[in-house]
Amino acid sequence: MISPDVLALVTTLKMAALTTIILLLIGTPLAWFLAKMQSRFKVIIEAIVALPLVLPPTVLGFYLLIAFSPQYLPGQLWQQATGQQLAFSFSAIVIGSVLYSMPFVIQPLQKAFEQLGDPLLEAGSMLGAGTLDRFFNIVLPSTKASFITAASLGFAHTVGEFGVILMIGGNIPGETRVLSIALFDHVEAFDYAQAHLLAISLLAGSMVLLSAIYLLNRAAPKTPKTAKKAKRVNNEP
Amino acid sequence: MNLNLSFQLDFPPFNLTIEQALSLQGITGIFGHSGSGKSTLLRAIAGLEKNLVGTIFLDDSCLINNSDRKPKTFIKPEQRHIGLVFQDSRLFPHLNVLGNLKFAAKRCQNRRLDFNEIIKLTELSSLLHKQVDELSGGQKQRVALARAILAEPKLLLLDEPLSALDRQAKASLLKLMLNIQKQLQLPILYVSHSMDELQQVCDKLLVLSQGKVIGYGGIHQMIHQLNYTQNHTQNYAQSHASHNAQVENDLHQQTSLSLPIKTLDNGHGLAVLSLSSALDEQQEIYLPALAKNTEPLHEQTLRCFILASDISISLIEPFNSSIVNHLFAKITALNSQGNKVLVTALYGGKKKNGGEKKGQEQIFFVNISTFSQQQLALKIGQSVYLQFKAGAVRTYLY
Repeated sequence: MISPDVLALVTTLKMAALTTIILLLIGTPLAWFLAKMQSRFKVIIEAIVALPLVLPPTVLGFYLLIAFSPQYLPGQLWQQATGQQLAFSFSAIVIGSVLYSMPFVIQPLQKAFEQLGDPLLEAGSMLGAGTLDRFFNIVLPSTKASFITAASLGFAHTVGEFGVILMIGGNIPGETRVLSIALFDHVEAFDYAQAHLLAISLLAGSMVLLSAIYLLNRAAPKTPKTAKKAKRVNNEP
Repeated sequence: MNLNLSFQLDFPPFNLTIEQALSLQGITGIFGHSGSGKSTLLRAIAGLEKNLVGTIFLDDSCLINNSDRKPKTFIKPEQRHIGLVFQDSRLFPHLNVLGNLKFAAKRCQNRRLDFNEIIKLTELSSLLHKQVDELSGGQKQRVALARAILAEPKLLLLDEPLSALDRQAKASLLKLMLNIQKQLQLPILYVSHSMDELQQVCDKLLVLSQGKVIGYGGIHQMIHQLNYTQNHTQNYAQSHASHNAQVENDLHQQTSLSLPIKTLDNGHGLAVLSLSSALDEQQEIYLPALAKNTEPLHEQTLRCFILASDISISLIEPFNSSIVNHLFAKITALNSQGNKVLVTALYGGKKKNGGEKKGQEQIFFVNISTFSQQQLALKIGQSVYLQFKAGAVRTYLY
């Protein structure tokens, strides 16, 4: 018999991993679109994307709970398509997490794409590289560091989620019971020893993850300039 | 190769309107001051400006047809087989030199050029494994040039590729450009605001001003035409002393020449060029000796120029002078410009005592003060002696 906390850990990792993958898949084109967009509506889309940063998670969770319930269209459509109820399911918490963590993935990518600008892409097209070719062979490698940041932040933020999941997922072991909820349960049951254990593991885990991100970003070959410039002596032709 | 341009492009308040057919052979220069639209013109040909209205044809293939006539056409830049070297190199920072070169070679469909041959030609062998940010400005542009060539374009566009470089790096890249053009027979369109660079390498020149073409023709002819029209910097030394890469207006009234080389060094520190004339004797032009290993890049001729302010006029033949160059010429025009007069004189127009005209005529431009003009009582049709020191015959490359 697997311990409930380990099960919660597995659920959490599964949810965070799936959320991160989905966010990278839909976030990359959206961030690209926002970076290149010049319309007045850009601000509005940016505001919508950033909304989860300021909104109490329970507000998002509340609206999602309503939308996911079988009385409303999204919930109905889901039920017709899959035969299962959307609210209080694993799928629900993944959808919720995708919306909730969206700004953490989109914003670094959008910034990276804006910074990259057109120069290298124009150079690529003048060498015969088409749109996809340019994306995979110029954009991706040039913005690798931002992709790492975006993915890690999206993942970490999803692991730390509580309010949204409580609202739309409830507390079903193996389905929607994630670590943050398990911790809340232990505290409610006055099981402080177990709560301590979970809390410290989450703290340490997050610390390790974030350190790894910063380490990776530093190691990414972005600014070797200062060290190497000094070495270079006049080797002009 | 023919390039037919007929389009308008609006960036209020700037407007570029081009109606021009160019026959592309060798290197064609595009000259204009900043804001004249020369870079925008290149971008339009490359396909990087989509909002133009009109048509561009390269030989028989339509690159863009965005006029009222149907059907509309737009060939994407990556399908035009046109190369473009940017002012700022735009090397891919995530790849090293070799990676940048291979990026181009891999995407070239039917490769004819030998990869290693191009690396040798552009002298990049020792840099292949360097990171892009370890390169100097001149090296970066050499890589960019090699990269553009390895994509094997039909036409190569150069957008101020030398403007960020120092003089020495400029000269070495200009020689490389000439060499590439000669070996690969690749038509090149070369945009620059530096007439000194263009004078050295271009066969033809297109002059833009405020978004319009104001002249197109042979390089010497166009430079001479500009003597009458453009604003000129009076002091050559001054404009070249400032090492600002973006010196504006480095345009000087000058005589632009391509002359056959007779001797690189006559033993007295002077090189000798010959100016063929209608006169029986071959006129020699002296200039400071050229290095022994100088490979004349335009066959056996040297591109050089003499500033109008460096030539003086004498009414009698200056036998007793240290000035080594003196030519007998006839004044064909006098244009006052403030307290200066631009004298146009024709050398070798006619044989002194009748007889048949043979050899080439050469036009010279002299800038003198109105004071001197009055002193000498110069008139159109008058025969005079032009004199200039060896040091006044300048060449940008050597």
